[in-house]
Amino acid sequence: MRKWKAPRIACASLIIVAAASGRVSAESPFGDPNAEPAPFNPQMAALMSMLIQPRHAKLGLAGEAENWPLAAYSLKELRQGFAVASRAVPRWRGLPVPELFDAAVTQPLTLLDFAIKLKYSRQFNEAYEQLTAGCNACHATTDHSFIVIKAPNASAFPNQEFAPKR
Amino acid sequence: MVLAWRTGGIANAVLAVTCALSIAAWAGGAGFGDDDDNSEEEGPSYFGFVRDTSGVTVPDAKVTVGLKGRGGIITRTDLLGTYKVPGFGKDVDPKDVEVACDKPGYKQMRVVRRSTPSKDPKIPIETECTLQRI
Repeated sequence: MRKWKAPRIACASLIIVAAASGRVSAESPFGDPNAEPAPFNPQMAALMSMLIQPRHAKLGLAGEAENWPLAAYSLKELRQGFAVASRAVPRWRGLPVPELFDAAVTQPLTLLDFAIKLKYSRQFNEAYEQLTAGCNACHATTDHSFIVIKAPNASAFPNQEFAPKR
Repeated sequence: MVLAWRTGGIANAVLAVTCALSIAAWAGGAGFGDDDDNSEEEGPSYFGFVRDTSGVTVPDAKVTVGLKGRGGIITRTDLLGTYKVPGFGKDVDPKDVEVACDKPGYKQMRVVRRSTPSKDPKIPIETECTLQRI
C-alpha cells in the first residue's frame, strides 16, 4: 500500500496543475488583453478572402456590365492583390506561390487587359472564364479543389453600382 | 483486509486512468487518429514544374520520379504544369531521387533541383524539368 503513495501524490499534483492551466486558458481563449499588439500577419486563406476573391467578383461584375473603366480598375486591383499575397507568403507549405500564381493567372490577366482596352465583351468573358479556371487549377494543385471559384451570378456589394455611369 | 485491498486496487486503477487521461488532455488531446499520420516515417515529397524552353508550363507531361536502380513513380503534370509525388521512405536519400520528364513532340533538355531537403518532411523538394520542342 505504501509504495503507491508517492505516485498518487505525483499524479494528483499533475491533475491539479493541468486543471489550473486549463482554467487560465479558458478565461481568455483569444489571448492576453494586456499584451503588446502583434503585427498583422494574414496568411494565405485570409489574403485570398480579403484581396483576391472580392476583386475577382468585382472584375466579373464590372465586365458583365461592360463598365470598362471599373473593369480596368478592378483588374489592376486584382493584379496587385496577387502581388501582395505572393510577397506576403512566398512559399505556402513549401510550394512557390509566385510561380503558381504566374502559371495560373498571368495569361488570362493579360487577355483581360486586352479585352478591357478593346472594350470587347466576348473576349472579356472568355478570358474571365480562363482566369476562373486558373484559380481552380491552382486550388487543385494546392489540394484545395473543394474551393470552387465561379463567375458571380449576383453582386455581393449592394452599396456599389456596377453599371457604367451615364 | 481483502476488501480493503480491493478498494485500494480500484482506487489506484481509477487514479491511474484519471492521471493518464489528464496528462493526455494537458498535452493537447487524446491522440485519436495519430496512428494515421506516418509523416514521421516518410521522407520529403517531390514537387516541380515542367516548362518548355520559353518558360511556359507544360500540362499533361509524363514525369518519372525514381530511385537510382530501384524504379520509380510515374505521374503527369496538372493544368498548371506541376507534378507532386509523395515521399519515399525516410531511409531514401533525396540525392538518389531522380526526376525525368517527357511529352510527345518534346525531348527533355534539363533537370534542375531548385531546393535542398528541409528538416520539415512536409516541405517538398522542388525539381524543375525543361522540355524542348522537337
